[in-house]
Amino acid sequence: MEKKIRVPLFHLAKREELSKKKKFIIRIIAIVAALLLCALLTALATGINPLEVYGSLVGGAFGSVRKTWITLQDLSILLLISVALTPAFTMKFWNIGGEGQVLVGGLATAACMILLENKIPSVLIMLVSFIAAVLAGALWGLIPAVCKAKWNTNETLMTLMMNYIATQLVSFFVIIWEVPKGSGKIGIINQNSHDGWMVQLFGSKYMLCIVVSAVVTVFMYIYLNYSKHGYEIQVVGQSINTAKYVGINISKVIIRTMLLSGALCGLAGMLLVGSINHTITTTIAGGQGFTAVMVSWMAKFNPFTMIPCAFLIVFMNRGAGEIATNFGLNPSFADIMTGIILFFIIGCEFFINYSIKFRKMSGGRS
Amino acid sequence: MEKPQAAVSMRNIVKTFGKGVYANRDVDLDIYHGEILSLLGENGSGKTTLMNMLSGIYYPDEGEIFINSKPVSINSPKDAYELGIGMVHQHFKLVDVLTAAENIVLGLDGALDLNKAKEKIREICARYGFEVDPDKKIYSMSVSEKQTVEIVKVLYRGADILILDEPTAVLTPQETKKLFEIMRNMKKDGKALVIITHKLAEVMEISDRVAILRQGKYVGTLITKNTSPKEMTDMMVGRKVELGIERPEPIDPKLRLRISNLSVTDAEGIQKLKNINLDIYSGEILGIAGISGCGQKELLESVAGLQKVDSGSIIYYDDDGTEKELVGMDPVKIKELGVALSFVPEDRLGMGLVGDMDLSDNMMLRSFRDGKGVFTDRKSPHERAEKIVKQLHVDTPGIETPVRKLSGGNIQKVLVGRELYLRPSVLMTAYVVRGLDINSSYTIYDLIVFQKLSGTAVIFVGEDLDVLLQISDRVCVLCDGQVNGILDGRKAEKSEVGLLMTSLAENHESVSEPAYAKTGSDPEKEGGN
Amino acid sequence: MKKLVSVLLAAMMALSLCACGASAGSAADGGAKDAGSGASDIKVGFICLHDENSTYDLNFINGAKEACKNLGIEPIIKVNIPEGQECYDAACELADAGCSFIFADSFGHEDYMIEAAKEYPDIQFSHATGTKAHTEGLANYHNAFASIYEGRYLAGIVAGMKLKEMIDAGEITPDQAKIGYVGAFTYAEVISGYTSFFLGARSVVPEATMEVTFTGSWYDETAEKEGATKLIQDGCVLISQHADSMGAPTACENAGVPDVSYNGSTEAACPNTFLVSSRIDWAPYFEYAIKATANKEAYDTDWTGTLETGSVALTDLGKSVADGTKEAVEEAKKKLQDGSLHVFDTSTFTVEGKELTTYMADVDTDPDYKGDHEAIKDGYFNESGEGMRSAPYFDLQIDGISLLDTAF
Repeated sequence: MEKKIRVPLFHLAKREELSKKKKFIIRIIAIVAALLLCALLTALATGINPLEVYGSLVGGAFGSVRKTWITLQDLSILLLISVALTPAFTMKFWNIGGEGQVLVGGLATAACMILLENKIPSVLIMLVSFIAAVLAGALWGLIPAVCKAKWNTNETLMTLMMNYIATQLVSFFVIIWEVPKGSGKIGIINQNSHDGWMVQLFGSKYMLCIVVSAVVTVFMYIYLNYSKHGYEIQVVGQSINTAKYVGINISKVIIRTMLLSGALCGLAGMLLVGSINHTITTTIAGGQGFTAVMVSWMAKFNPFTMIPCAFLIVFMNRGAGEIATNFGLNPSFADIMTGIILFFIIGCEFFINYSIKFRKMSGGRS
Repeated sequence: MEKPQAAVSMRNIVKTFGKGVYANRDVDLDIYHGEILSLLGENGSGKTTLMNMLSGIYYPDEGEIFINSKPVSINSPKDAYELGIGMVHQHFKLVDVLTAAENIVLGLDGALDLNKAKEKIREICARYGFEVDPDKKIYSMSVSEKQTVEIVKVLYRGADILILDEPTAVLTPQETKKLFEIMRNMKKDGKALVIITHKLAEVMEISDRVAILRQGKYVGTLITKNTSPKEMTDMMVGRKVELGIERPEPIDPKLRLRISNLSVTDAEGIQKLKNINLDIYSGEILGIAGISGCGQKELLESVAGLQKVDSGSIIYYDDDGTEKELVGMDPVKIKELGVALSFVPEDRLGMGLVGDMDLSDNMMLRSFRDGKGVFTDRKSPHERAEKIVKQLHVDTPGIETPVRKLSGGNIQKVLVGRELYLRPSVLMTAYVVRGLDINSSYTIYDLIVFQKLSGTAVIFVGEDLDVLLQISDRVCVLCDGQVNGILDGRKAEKSEVGLLMTSLAENHESVSEPAYAKTGSDPEKEGGN
Repeated sequence: MKKLVSVLLAAMMALSLCACGASAGSAADGGAKDAGSGASDIKVGFICLHDENSTYDLNFINGAKEACKNLGIEPIIKVNIPEGQECYDAACELADAGCSFIFADSFGHEDYMIEAAKEYPDIQFSHATGTKAHTEGLANYHNAFASIYEGRYLAGIVAGMKLKEMIDAGEITPDQAKIGYVGAFTYAEVISGYTSFFLGARSVVPEATMEVTFTGSWYDETAEKEGATKLIQDGCVLISQHADSMGAPTACENAGVPDVSYNGSTEAACPNTFLVSSRIDWAPYFEYAIKATANKEAYDTDWTGTLETGSVALTDLGKSVADGTKEAVEEAKKKLQDGSLHVFDTSTFTVEGKELTTYMADVDTDPDYKGDHEAIKDGYFNESGEGMRSAPYFDLQIDGISLLDTAF
């Protein structure tokens, strides 16, 4: 009895499944805690009233009708790309080539708009752009999928490398189409004729992206959860051996799924070029192909959960510019806040899975 | 005689996983030096959890642990080692690319002198009768050798309280015998040994005392020589169980599968099956015996259409005598041929089921292609899952629970239930009761025998020879990828099977076969025995 | 648990209330400030491609702040606006916020500014370096630039004096007087810039030659640094640049090679090698345009700032310039102003060995790059001239300059 017993201050215990309500509450607590930390950081680092900064964030995203529409449009594009990547991730095919798939989709659209101007009616250009963009994106998804299916290459590296090829292709064509020569800019394509500019739905130029993204999100939810294809994707993702055991043709599923994933990314590229920017640059996807990976993961591959996840990121991005404008803070400051919030949200999963048991005060022995 | 001092005393140990889920509840246990204690209990009765608290993997929620009468707090495996407690887990924790000696010294403090370490390893081996080459890489070792390394690792670190978690599950009878010899040597040396097991024969053979857990609670301790398997089983399951497997005579056996000259080479280019010739009849259980890796897996997977075959044929005979070649088919094509083939693979969660999917979705693995259209039918799998849960008494919180959260026995019930639901004409099972408690095991045996009675041809790959000889009508012994003899299950001796498993017989003709199998190969002439 | 939820809800509500209150409060503050200044009660917005870390954007931001200070108004500055739909969105947001004068600073912003100008006919849109205002026919869309080639020429004289000093000191032979130049893209704005700089240097050291490399980006610190390093390794003894990061000046400071920078002084970061920097001072234009907007007067569709307007400026000379530099620059400046000296005097350069007598410059932007205006006038190339446009259109390759990496 001479040696005092070392009872640990706390130890971790795995929780049983929490109710949805409790999980929700834990996540809300995490976000509130993150906001408090951000507020503290803001006050300490900049001396600006954090509440004003938060107000400004909200203002940046929803300060006017136009801002709200743009926020929704940005949300729809990020959501669309996230949803597009999801079938591949569900299959545990690490498609980090969304950026490239979006880019080639955009490039195909730009090519149609430039090459077909004044040659065929605008509606036909739209149709041709749509087909071209979807095919281009699908091709960008197909190449790594075939290599994976046939030779078991590493899809992470392969899709990543395809991004660089797409970027270089776009640079190449930008120089071919640039106006004026040597400026490195295409500028607005068909600025006066509006040939091949995507249709406006309900009289709003923001609506098309929102509607397409909503439709694709619902489609993907149904596809993954209720279709035979979706079921095969899930089995392949969970266990290759089980898939073989029940006779699923794994190569076929990989190729089919990546065609879909790439095609939808291509569609996002078409919207970026044909409906939003009306130009093509190497940075038109703006890293959203990578951000979407995070959104898809954060949402645990549930297309509907991706809506709040994508919203959070878009909201912070939109607010970032506003903070910079109003307070002269560098937009990187908003990135820091986004980082803190994401850290808390992802970190709180730990508390959903584990509980911490503290030493009982009365339990001390000597 | 004065009671000796206990090496380990555990008092009122409580461990919970989540609210209300007691893995252990008020467990008391004493372990003495110089004895072998069997820790017996059904699956999920908390044996491993209890021992994990001794080895520092878990920390008890309540209760006290005494080592040599001193209260201790074991917060980590390191603490456990310092107290002389070593545990050999079911899943080995070895680094494949390192040698035995490197693995043994891995993680130890102080200067590394491999030569000195090897010297000490040889010393330990000589003392207890291990056979280990300290310079052999782990990846080139057999399962039994790896286990030996694990035990030596524990001894090397000075453990005098050893816990072995189901050590015989992966061993052949011969290897088990050797292990028991070593355990007796350690016992003589004064070590305290705990063996977690649920093979009653082994309990009887090796242990001095047996402590029994049921549903996390301590039931009692028996002196092995004063008890019987029956009594232990009753204590384990809490009610009287009839042991013994029914073996009705095959009814109207007809040739169902004929495997001829089947040869298989695996991805590494090793020939796994050599010219297998085997007939399987409806209404019989054909047991397959063999040490692990002798080709059972490849045999079953060849029939199931999962294995690429070099040469040979597998003919399926319909009830009307139509012949269907299965070689070159995949599972989907076999189903399309109208062959109802069910397969319970060895790797339940890795192959037979998807761990993260719920019961209903796992039912769909076999049926998701049914029906026209692009959507899956969700309703009938759900109903099927409910039926199976009810009929096989699957203990699950619900149909929506991911199967990996169920205990081993319940997982197997789900898998077997799904496969039997297909009303198979051929049923193949591999190690169908591995890791299952006695109750679950007998439920499964009953299901298989019931299938046999309904005319299914059953291929039963097993590792427990006692069971294999109790359940099989015929026993096919595989050795090194070849059929080394086919015996009459009712007459064969365990020793005979054991011998055939390990050494190729010179003359196959000497072994006996039942009359119906001998009457010839033409299914038209089959008319029972 | 319920208690916790209610506490959380209360906290959230308090937070959102405060947020709303805060934003309302700040808007009110802004209003009060505007009213107090009295001089002008209009709002003006600025759109910048990058933020103040880019020398190019910093120059605009400083100009905007200075002009607004003089006019007693507070500018709204949006930074990091890419050359895409975001520019249109930003311009429209500024319009929605009540700005009546909106300015964008990057070449690629032009098309999007035109789109916004079409949508808001009552708001004045101005764009630097653009080329389309004079052909677009929009009353509320304007281009502006300055005769920065004159500033470049003067900076070239500073460089030439430095080269001459090096030759006189025997550090290099006249043949080795090779200048390096890091450019962004291969189009007129850059070509006009390096040519005028080169002509300035050659007016002092006739043997001087020049090598130009391109990065394909207006702001790529790594590429600019690598470009400068490559030129130095190629034997260039003096470096200048037309790209917006600190890449080239830093490379020069590291290598100890004299550097003429652009957009503003880099002396603080590169004290040993900085010679001089030419820049456009945007404050005069901003004051002119904002005043006109406030008074609801029309102002130039295409405005060219000059030495007279104070738009073309040289920074203070660095420590390491050659003796007599200041005087030489002053003299040339006087001559430029009185018209006795022209930067692109056709007698001072040749194209493919021949003196230029006629050249159709591509002043009106079109995808075919067809020349549409005669640019040679009275023996000189009429850059940013009357009746042409403010943005440069000198895109000739003169002898003595060799180009590397022209892919962009």
